[in-house]
Amino acid sequence: MPNNKLLSKIPFYGIALIFIILIVSLFKLQVVQGEDYKQIAEENYVRIKNIQPVRGEILDREYRPIAINKPSYNLYIILGKIREKDKVIDFVSRNFAIEKEKIKETIYQNRFRLYQEIRLVQNIDYEKLIAISEQLNYFSSLFFKTETRREYLYPNHFTGYVGRIDEQEFSKLKDKGYSINSMLGKSGLEKYYEEMLAGKSGYEILQVDAAGNNLQFFKHNLEKKPENGESLILTIDNELQEYISSIFPGKAKGCIVVSDIKNGEILAYISKPDFDQNIFGNNLSTDDWNKILQDPSKPMLDRVIHGTYPPGSVYKPVMAFLGLEENVIDKKTKLTKCDGGMQFGDRYFKCWWEKGHGRLNVVDAIKQSCDVFFYDLSTRFTLEQINNYTKKNKLCVRTGIDLPGERAGFFPTKDWYKQNYGRYISITGQKVNIAIGQGEVLVTPLQICSFYAAIGNDGIWKQPHFLLKTVEHQKNTTFKQEYLPVNREHLELIQKSLYKVVNEQYGTGTAAGVYGVKVYGKTGSAENHMGKETHAWFTGYAEWEEPEIAFVVFLENAGHGGSAAAPLARKIVKFYDWMMKER
Amino acid sequence: MDIKKIDWIIFLLLILLMISGVIAIYSASTSKIGDEFLTWNFYLKQLIWVFISLLFLFVLLKLPMPVIDLMIIPVYIITIIFLILVLFLPEIKGSHRWIFLGPVNFQPSELAKLVTILFVAKLISKPYITEWQILLRSFAVVLLPVILILLEPDLGTALTLMISLFAMLLFSGLPVFFLILIISPVLSIITSFSLPVFLIYILILLFLLYKTRLSLVAIGFAGVLNAFIFFITPVIWNGLKTYQQNRILSFIDPMRDPLGAGYQIIQSKIAIGSGNIFGKGFLMGTQKNLNFLPEHHTDFIFSVIGEEFGFFGCLIILVLFFVFLMRMMKGINKLKRPGMKYAGMGILSYLTFQVFVNIGMNIGIVPTTGIPLPFISYGGSNLLINVISVGIILKYLKERSIFE
Repeated sequence: MPNNKLLSKIPFYGIALIFIILIVSLFKLQVVQGEDYKQIAEENYVRIKNIQPVRGEILDREYRPIAINKPSYNLYIILGKIREKDKVIDFVSRNFAIEKEKIKETIYQNRFRLYQEIRLVQNIDYEKLIAISEQLNYFSSLFFKTETRREYLYPNHFTGYVGRIDEQEFSKLKDKGYSINSMLGKSGLEKYYEEMLAGKSGYEILQVDAAGNNLQFFKHNLEKKPENGESLILTIDNELQEYISSIFPGKAKGCIVVSDIKNGEILAYISKPDFDQNIFGNNLSTDDWNKILQDPSKPMLDRVIHGTYPPGSVYKPVMAFLGLEENVIDKKTKLTKCDGGMQFGDRYFKCWWEKGHGRLNVVDAIKQSCDVFFYDLSTRFTLEQINNYTKKNKLCVRTGIDLPGERAGFFPTKDWYKQNYGRYISITGQKVNIAIGQGEVLVTPLQICSFYAAIGNDGIWKQPHFLLKTVEHQKNTTFKQEYLPVNREHLELIQKSLYKVVNEQYGTGTAAGVYGVKVYGKTGSAENHMGKETHAWFTGYAEWEEPEIAFVVFLENAGHGGSAAAPLARKIVKFYDWMMKER
Repeated sequence: MDIKKIDWIIFLLLILLMISGVIAIYSASTSKIGDEFLTWNFYLKQLIWVFISLLFLFVLLKLPMPVIDLMIIPVYIITIIFLILVLFLPEIKGSHRWIFLGPVNFQPSELAKLVTILFVAKLISKPYITEWQILLRSFAVVLLPVILILLEPDLGTALTLMISLFAMLLFSGLPVFFLILIISPVLSIITSFSLPVFLIYILILLFLLYKTRLSLVAIGFAGVLNAFIFFITPVIWNGLKTYQQNRILSFIDPMRDPLGAGYQIIQSKIAIGSGNIFGKGFLMGTQKNLNFLPEHHTDFIFSVIGEEFGFFGCLIILVLFFVFLMRMMKGINKLKRPGMKYAGMGILSYLTFQVFVNIGMNIGIVPTTGIPLPFISYGGSNLLINVISVGIILKYLKERSIFE
């Protein structure tokens, strides 16, 4: 090997050189500049400041506010600066009425984020702020920040609410611009459109000493501006929403939806009882939270899409369509005579009208809501046929509305019956019940509203939705549309029957009639397993020059659809009529 | 096993370094609120790896040399397979580096470093081999792992491997011009962004090659090759996606992305500097809690030592490393068998490179690379492979007496 001596010297000098460089650099850093760095470290002169983005607001179709941002005074803590932990906990607990355990828990959860700002209390009164600001000076770990909080102008179930991000959510979202203090949509539109509403955090790197001199560690790119969230314009009309909310009977439980027939836009969406979402912004105590959760009237339940109920007679048009499409009946066919009921095999199935309707064709059977007609009709189809056809009409399936957690409802199958009721269950007996919307079939009020909207819209089913557009982009979003499995002739026949329900003698829904407007509808009085009063349904649509709005009124255990729900529909249509003429 | 022939001083220094590591990791994963201390269990995991590594070390020392020799090629092939496999596994923080086997994560690129060096050493130590053959064979063996590692992407490890190769070739007595030829494409890439700089460089290059009396044909070839690289680099650069470009630029200048690597380095400097001469005391460091913990018990572990033990503590660690590396170097220099000497030099150079780059990064004189501090940073794969590497050197040093 050539150059032996030289080669063997190189590693020695190489390694020696490396260590000399390291030692000299360390000396410079720790001995020469040591004191300077010590101060920088102690006073935290170089740090990243998180800049929260402004959350997009939620407005109605006329740009009127529904969920907006208001200024909020918030208390923050930096754990690494705590000197006497117990005193700090005591101070916060006393002044802000927070349980000590909760504070300790917050500290524990953030024990590895010693130098990040952690928010302890939100939305402090200005008076309180002034009162304790002097005491605050004694605690180097506590300080105030002026930020924003969410305010909901009226209680409702579609905006949902925002809450503090939790550890699980944070670990998933921290790369997407969220900080440990971020607020996150927890339900409703706030959650569904979280990405659009939230925007992205920005940051600022601070590097100034006590005198304000720039320490110049970083030469450029010291700031990343936050991206503010986009504001949403909803299809909701605040005026209509407010009116309907006010006419909803006092202690009743139920819901009302009004939608635009042509495009599925939701104009009003009410579920009662409701609760004020603003409580979440005020440091809700565990007790208050439990009180709401355990309230038997379930104020947090969104009955429009989370409640599933037997449809009762409002289901009958589905059977009618099926019968017509499969040529089992036509517009003239009269089925079994209703004498207050009908005999089938060894059982007698009762109709709600004990005096009996006699023999009716399909139009009259709907107008008077005769049960027997549909019992008879049901025996001509298999359960599976009815199941499939129901779902093609977009019932017992999700509509895909832009809200999280929508339920699909339920339609039983033969297997389901066998599993739950044993092998010898009579399917026919069950079918008969289902034909009038009773038994195990369950729908959500939203599905019913959209179905009837489709009937009024020439059979075109439009996906119900809330988002009209965003403030910046001004472009319309696209939603689905499908076609009901009914031909034009049959559709018009049933439309006619729905007209008669409201506008002719012996129709069950005459309480919904409005002078000067063509109201179409269907009543329903659904029995439910609780043995209480029936649920009251009234659903349909209203036509001026053309059909314009569809609606569903649903009241739990309120009695008959014709007497309890239909009058509300009348008020709603009248109001809408007046509202449109005023604009 | 002939106990007398094992170099106990190297072994002792190894143990001391590993113990320092466990102590430093303990502190790095501890935070102090008021008077309370809360610690994660990383130091325990590291301790387990220390024992596992020592186990491997003893086994290695017992194995006969021919067995080790025979294992090199199969292990190389297995490593290549793992390197390909890892590219298809899910990403962590933007790179595919680990294979997950239950509670244990394993980095194939670490194994690749060692086994590639051993393989190259084996190939170029054969007698009656020409210099061109040395060059070509070593490149053939190194190219595949380097490319696979670059695809992960892991620039740091790829660079470490290239440096080790360079060191080995240097010690194989390769003529200077070969070495110039090897570096020239890299320099061409770097200078391709500025025409005048490139022209100056190419003239110097050709002049040097002429001086070493390389044939005119070869010089012409080198010139053309480098010119080609000059033209092709901007094309490839523009073909890269923005995030890839940013990665490379951040590697060169960490201050470009202050929130990422740049911020880490500044905080590391502040931490080390604030330790002054004697440090703030064990577990009393505050800066380690400023950033995300994972970085602190891996790449930035030295900043914890600097903050808590000051200049004094850093000096001790440096002295330990210095004596450790020097002693190994002296031993390797005395080896007579070429294969062992080259392998030894390769291993020594990557250990030294890692020490320099990691501590340099913590001090802020070297850009961020994701290279851990050997024997001290948290990380099972890295520790295991490094200990095995030292084991190989110990074994060579032990065996040399037979051949003297």
